[in-house]
Amino acid sequence: MSIDVSQVSKRFGDFVALDDVSVSLPTGQLTALLGPSGGGKSTLLRIIAGLDSADEGSISIEGVEATKLPARKRNVGFVFQHYAVFKHMTVAKNVAFGLEIRKRPKDEIAHRVDELLRLVHLQQFAHRLPSQLSGGQRQRMALARALAVEPKVLLLDEPFGALDAKVRKELRDWLRRLHDEVHVTTVFVTHDQEEALEVADEIVVINEGRVEQVGTPDTLYDEPANDFVMGFLGEVTQLGGLTLRPHDIDVSTTPLLAGATPGTITRLLRVGFEVRATVTTDAGEEVTVVMTRTSSRSLGLDQGAKVWLTPASGATTVPAMRSVASVG
Amino acid sequence: MSSPSTTVSTSSPVVKWVLRLVVVAYLFLLLVWPTWFLVKNTFANGMTGIQEALADPDVVHALQLTAQIAVASVAINTVFGVGISLLLVRQRFIGRRVLSVLIDLPLSVSPVVVGLALVLVYNGQFGWFGPWLEAHGLQVVFAMPGMILATCFVILPLVVREVVPVLEELGEDQEQAARSLGANAWQTFWRITLPGIRWAVVYGVVLSLARALGEFGAVKVVAGNVGGETQVATVLVQQKYQGFEQDTAYSVSFMLVLAAVLCLVVVALLRPKEGKK
Repeated sequence: MSIDVSQVSKRFGDFVALDDVSVSLPTGQLTALLGPSGGGKSTLLRIIAGLDSADEGSISIEGVEATKLPARKRNVGFVFQHYAVFKHMTVAKNVAFGLEIRKRPKDEIAHRVDELLRLVHLQQFAHRLPSQLSGGQRQRMALARALAVEPKVLLLDEPFGALDAKVRKELRDWLRRLHDEVHVTTVFVTHDQEEALEVADEIVVINEGRVEQVGTPDTLYDEPANDFVMGFLGEVTQLGGLTLRPHDIDVSTTPLLAGATPGTITRLLRVGFEVRATVTTDAGEEVTVVMTRTSSRSLGLDQGAKVWLTPASGATTVPAMRSVASVG
Repeated sequence: MSSPSTTVSTSSPVVKWVLRLVVVAYLFLLLVWPTWFLVKNTFANGMTGIQEALADPDVVHALQLTAQIAVASVAINTVFGVGISLLLVRQRFIGRRVLSVLIDLPLSVSPVVVGLALVLVYNGQFGWFGPWLEAHGLQVVFAMPGMILATCFVILPLVVREVVPVLEELGEDQEQAARSLGANAWQTFWRITLPGIRWAVVYGVVLSLARALGEFGAVKVVAGNVGGETQVATVLVQQKYQGFEQDTAYSVSFMLVLAAVLCLVVVALLRPKEGKK
């Protein structure tokens, strides 16, 4: 395991940011720390980097005990949400910073900077100032700067959080491809479940200072440990005491199956190819159902129609133990 | 000019012109006229006034002393000002608010009081540190160290108040990035923090310099008033004026004004550059 976090706690005054967190992050993989804002995921990342210190517990990086090591000796690359570019230096100087600090020979630095700027597609901007770059370009520069020192691990704190939706999506794909090229152990923090599911090899779900579940995107999506994880990874609804996804409910206009829940369609909304129906069951429960336009039409659904609902076979369900937290 | 908010202020041209006239008259009576008179009197006989003043060894000495004190105290104040700013912005400690308020003290306390306080602490007869320091060969009061001390006190807030807001706006991200890239505290300061605040520092230095050149009360109390020894330019102006040597007083005053104006011109030239950044 590349990064071992064991029994780490961190408080800010009365607020418990991390509560006895233990997690191991695998070498060479792209791991996402996923969770709602204020859940402690950024704090954990900053403690791994040495930018914050843990109140209790220990951190080891590549088998080296790092709990007491200052940030500059951890050999960790860190990328900030708001880029943290060195405003008074050119793009090339920004990338060269870590190497100059390490007093590498000049021609080696020049060679390495050129190589990295090519990697992040910024070679033509080497002599510009960061203020002349777009947000996405600045973040790519920050990434090159972090990679320049050949860190053992690369940590990214909401790296695309300050970018607009389109650039965000591009950079997300690009990060995945970059990781496949460079293979450095990478951990990134995000509150966007789609980002985590799309990019990460492994996801650690963190909420209220605790680890809720660790697993691959498929494991988390198909076998959520509890209804928080389920609710955070996608839209959920409740049917007959079960939490499940709105597209995992079968709708029929006749009571074909035993145990089907009868109800009435109280609202029908079409969004592109999707139809979202709100069904009020006879017991008074409100259930959200999502289906394709085609299946809605073939069933002849309309507002006020009587329907019977059953969980689709093979649907992921979790017993509804508590009310589901806000859906991400 | 068609939006409602601007039409209100431009609706009455009479009011507008009266307001402008009041401001211009105020500045003229307070600032331009007296300064103009000073310049006029200085050059009443062409350059002879200044030439005669510069022929007086006391004048030359006073100007040199003023320059030495100003440079020394500005240098000290710059180092401590940047240090205190870093402490105030980057560290959280008990008493931080109190320190922040104390920094502004020199703005509200009369410099004469400051001078008196320094005399009480550092004088050679009954001060707290004075006798010990004098026994070790360092005379503070009625000498150069005391004058530098007094000037430092007076200009203390000028660098701090310029640098603190810029440091706050700069944030800690860049410094943390530098640390994670392997820079130690000293490298982070020189390569990242200082370039980020350099214009604020320059501005603070220029303001301090202008203020240090013009300091009168604190330095007069601390220095005594021995012509050719501990007399600075401002004190010399007062003495020459009262001793019916108005021409010399005008000439030295003019040189002090010129230095201050030069300082402000430098600031004015620096400001827009900072704005563009």
